[in-house]
Amino acid sequence: MQDLTQEQLADKIGVSRQTIIAIEANKYLPSLGLAFKIARLFKVKVEDIFNYEGDENEN
Amino acid sequence: MIVMDRKKYKQLRVIVTLFVGAIVALAVVRDSYLLAAAGVLTGMVFMVLMRSKAKIRTDEREATIQEKAARMTYAIFAPTIGIAAFLLLLPSKGGFSVFSKGEWLFIESLGMVFAYLTLFLIVIYAISYHFFNRKFGGGGNEE
Repeated sequence: MQDLTQEQLADKIGVSRQTIIAIEANKYLPSLGLAFKIARLFKVKVEDIFNYEGDENEN
Repeated sequence: MIVMDRKKYKQLRVIVTLFVGAIVALAVVRDSYLLAAAGVLTGMVFMVLMRSKAKIRTDEREATIQEKAARMTYAIFAPTIGIAAFLLLLPSKGGFSVFSKGEWLFIESLGMVFAYLTLFLIVIYAISYHFFNRKFGGGGNEE
């Protein structure tokens, strides 16, 4: 894993530091685009970083 | 093309607003409408140029917050102003003649203003809904 501060990660993916903090605290669910950006930056799959625990029948 | 995030853009906007405010204050002191108009116009042109030349990066979380705030504002404001219009128009339309003349006449006028505002709000919502529905593929023409 890369050694990045929240500020550096935010700058690299083009969001604010508050967004990174909110994602880490599970208070904000990122868009697919942002999730892919983060995954690409760390060279991992999206599901390695994010996991969805919602109901499968949920709309 | 200059790339700036929304925070920097907001800071710049505050500086421009302060500058315009200072110019207008100076214009008021000197009683010069021309200076005030020039100050406001310069500020507006600067902001328009900045918006067109600079790429303002919007944070998606901020956009989500703005969407939710706008939705809640509409959900609260539209019924409130609609009910207020109804309540203000009710006395004069309901046969209470005391409310349709003299010093109470403003109630009916205020009710009419509120009623038109409600309609205006609903029309804007409907138009923007239609526009965004088409923009995001809800036109029904695509296979």
